Amino acid sequence: MGKAVSDSSPKVNVEVSTRRNALGKTTDQVIHLDLPSSTQLVYVIDAVISEIASDMGFDKEETEQINLAVIEAAMNAIKHGNGEDSSKRTRFEFILNQEQLTVVVEDQGVGFNRDNVADPLDPSNLLKSSGRGIFLMETCMDSVTFEASGRIVRMVKLRSATD
Amino acid sequence: MNVGIRRKEGVTVLDIEGRVIGSESFALKSIIDDEIRSLQDGEVKMLLNMGQVRAMDSSGLGIIIAAYTSIQRRGGRIALLNVSGNINSLIVVSKLVTIFDRYDDEEKAILSFHEA
Repeated sequence: MGKAVSDSSPKVNVEVSTRRNALGKTTDQVIHLDLPSSTQLVYVIDAVISEIASDMGFDKEETEQINLAVIEAAMNAIKHGNGEDSSKRTRFEFILNQEQLTVVVEDQGVGFNRDNVADPLDPSNLLKSSGRGIFLMETCMDSVTFEASGRIVRMVKLRSATD
Repeated sequence: MNVGIRRKEGVTVLDIEGRVIGSESFALKSIIDDEIRSLQDGEVKMLLNMGQVRAMDSSGLGIIIAAYTSIQRRGGRIALLNVSGNINSLIVVSKLVTIFDRYDDEEKAILSFHEA
């Protein structure tokens, strides 16, 4: 069902599949992307998510929001989760259906507690040069949840109109 | 991302083009830091022209905040020019509108650096 694209020393793996419900009707298209942890490869994610969001019919503003949220999640996973250790993988799952786009990002780090992340809107934090990534993800997407002690983030953007 | 540097009436104008995301942001930081270092304390007047910036993430935002604090510390001033669309939204939701002076007109922006 899936198609894998890789070279002999796989840097970037892509797999596309569909998930069917009990009646055999196609429900979701699922795209898996697996990258080594390098901030240079964020551009791969940038290109992929732009294409997906555009194909799903999200408008320009929504596409920019999705793009920003996914880039923030990717940078968090690569920098903070995997410490830019290129031997560690960062995995992405894009789940597309009529109702919504779900993006799951997983790193191989030790995780973190969302509740311990400072509020970037607190006046005492406004001039800090970092710490806005999760806030922006939560602002841009309809829901953002953390799983597996923070090693997995699941983000959902609802389609505003069905076609 | 490309950054053009020009001087106009004592103000350093950085014309930033493209996507200021991920590791590209670090290049912008390096350029801004070099410019700040090359100027005397109190003489750092910097205008960031964001009109051709297509996207910016939190690291890009962090770079301009770091520039703001660095320039303030030296008694200088930084302002933003042609901030629109998603970049403006980013600044608004992050509550940075009270920190950055924003202009849509370059002449007015340059003039603001020479007002008391």
